[in-house]
Amino acid sequence: MTRGGLSRAGVLAVVLAVLPLALPQHWVVSMLVFTVMYAALASSWNLIGGFAGYPSLGHAAFFGFGAYTVALIFPNTHNLSNGLLPFAILPGIAVVAGLIGLPIGAIAMRTRADVFAIVTITLLFVAQTLALNLRSLTGGAQGAGVAVPPFDVANFERPFYYAMAVLLLVAMGAGWYSQRSKIGLSLAAVRADEDKARGIGVHVTGVKLLAFSVSVGITAMIGGVWAYYVDFVYPQFAFDPLITIGMVLMAFLGGRGTLWGPVIGAVVLVPAQQYLAYELGGSQLYLIAYALVFLLIMRFLPRGILPTLTHLRRRRRLIAAADPAPRTAAAELGLAHDGQGGARV
Amino acid sequence: MSVLLEVEDLTKRFGGVTAVDGCSFTVDEGTVTALIGPNGSGKTTVFNLVTGCLPADSGAVRFSGREVTGMSPGRLYQRGLSRTFQQARVFPELTVLENLVVAGGWSFAGLFRQRVSRADRVRAAELLDEFRLDRVGDLLAAELSWGQRKLLEFAALLMSDPRLVLLDEPTAGVNPILIETMEAHIRARHAAGTTFLVVEHDMQFVMRLCDPVIVFDRGCPIASGTPEHVQSDPRVLDAYLGE
Repeated sequence: MTRGGLSRAGVLAVVLAVLPLALPQHWVVSMLVFTVMYAALASSWNLIGGFAGYPSLGHAAFFGFGAYTVALIFPNTHNLSNGLLPFAILPGIAVVAGLIGLPIGAIAMRTRADVFAIVTITLLFVAQTLALNLRSLTGGAQGAGVAVPPFDVANFERPFYYAMAVLLLVAMGAGWYSQRSKIGLSLAAVRADEDKARGIGVHVTGVKLLAFSVSVGITAMIGGVWAYYVDFVYPQFAFDPLITIGMVLMAFLGGRGTLWGPVIGAVVLVPAQQYLAYELGGSQLYLIAYALVFLLIMRFLPRGILPTLTHLRRRRRLIAAADPAPRTAAAELGLAHDGQGGARV
Repeated sequence: MSVLLEVEDLTKRFGGVTAVDGCSFTVDEGTVTALIGPNGSGKTTVFNLVTGCLPADSGAVRFSGREVTGMSPGRLYQRGLSRTFQQARVFPELTVLENLVVAGGWSFAGLFRQRVSRADRVRAAELLDEFRLDRVGDLLAAELSWGQRKLLEFAALLMSDPRLVLLDEPTAGVNPILIETMEAHIRARHAAGTTFLVVEHDMQFVMRLCDPVIVFDRGCPIASGTPEHVQSDPRVLDAYLGE
């Protein structure tokens, strides 16, 4: 890891660890849980939606799968002696969800771009319909209760918060690792020109399935923690299109295909959403205000916050470098008309 | 001279149009073979069939003695048969260096290694030098000129040490100086033992560089031989100029 990357990761870990201690009010920590949850969701979505360029809208199906798995293994009739037990089964949930994701990904990723988005959103509604109709298993529309967590009321949110924080680090770690290895290189090739990538011997199918599987595996774990936190799962909330859309929007907003973009997107959008819901809560106006925030950012930072900033910085550097080779490139981008190499950004 | 690529009775139809019609030809090892013919005569379709980008309706392709009909482009690439495209296809969001590294023909296990290792750099540096792309190695491919992208695409597939390279119009849309550069690179690689099959419309380029020349019309070869031979063949003049 580069020194900069290592120190950024360290700072993030420390900030995540300290936040609920510094801001212990219940409503704040509760909001932190959801902010970190969405940061983790957006980061895991980013593995396939950002790095590989396959914009899945079906990730909430795996979120719901994780949620229902926790609800069914630890139903509300269950008396939890150890409150950490539901967290312990999360890796198992990830493995099962990842394996389920393999055939689903293999079929869905025969399509691309917008068709892929539609195919995957179908998956979400199929899963939701199953949860509604397999009443003997899921309890149908009445939902399923989860065992009550035996945590201290004073710091009730903390275990969930830290579980989400760990999952965020796992998702970002997966993203970081992919970018440092030839997996990320291959995914970038797939995103840019899949057929060409196939033609130069890139393991297109393998690398796509790997990314999809890991992505949905982490998503399912997040769903598991969420179910345990909210204590009750309903089909329409566990398999919620808004969860899918939320993670996609945040990744787009912050910058998909970047390591930190999804996190930035979540940190901006989740508190904004909560604030707007609080201020304009009585009406549904907050949804319109939420859309407005998004429209504004897409209008002014169309590639997402992080890539726009990176692009600006790169332009500055290219123009500043008076060396002739990059200059021709800069000239072709239409950046260096003045011939002075002066920064005009 | 041994036969490196053998195409036998290859046919491809698109609806009612027979793009490639019972086409047979061979490419000998160590040659720069040209494939010429009027627009729409099926040259690029033959490329697509040979490299596995399109499935053939019938016929067979053999590469260095082995049947490879229907094999995927990726496996053919790993076996040493690779191609460029008419419109150079590079990965714009990757750097020039990364464009080379990604074409290294990695095994699945190789994906878990470092993105650009020191060994990759060394290997790529030779090609970057050879193609005079060393100064732009860290630029994004999107920042290259059109001609440089054509060079990059060509350089990248050399990462696999191919035995046969199919070039689809290597000089299309590039300036005269770069045409000479391209020619020099092909000659250098040819001298180093790589076989080429070139689709090209620039006749001077073909006549300078290629031997033999295969002339296509309506989906199959109508003549082949040395450049002088095909130039004087009445069937060739007829195909190009028409009645």
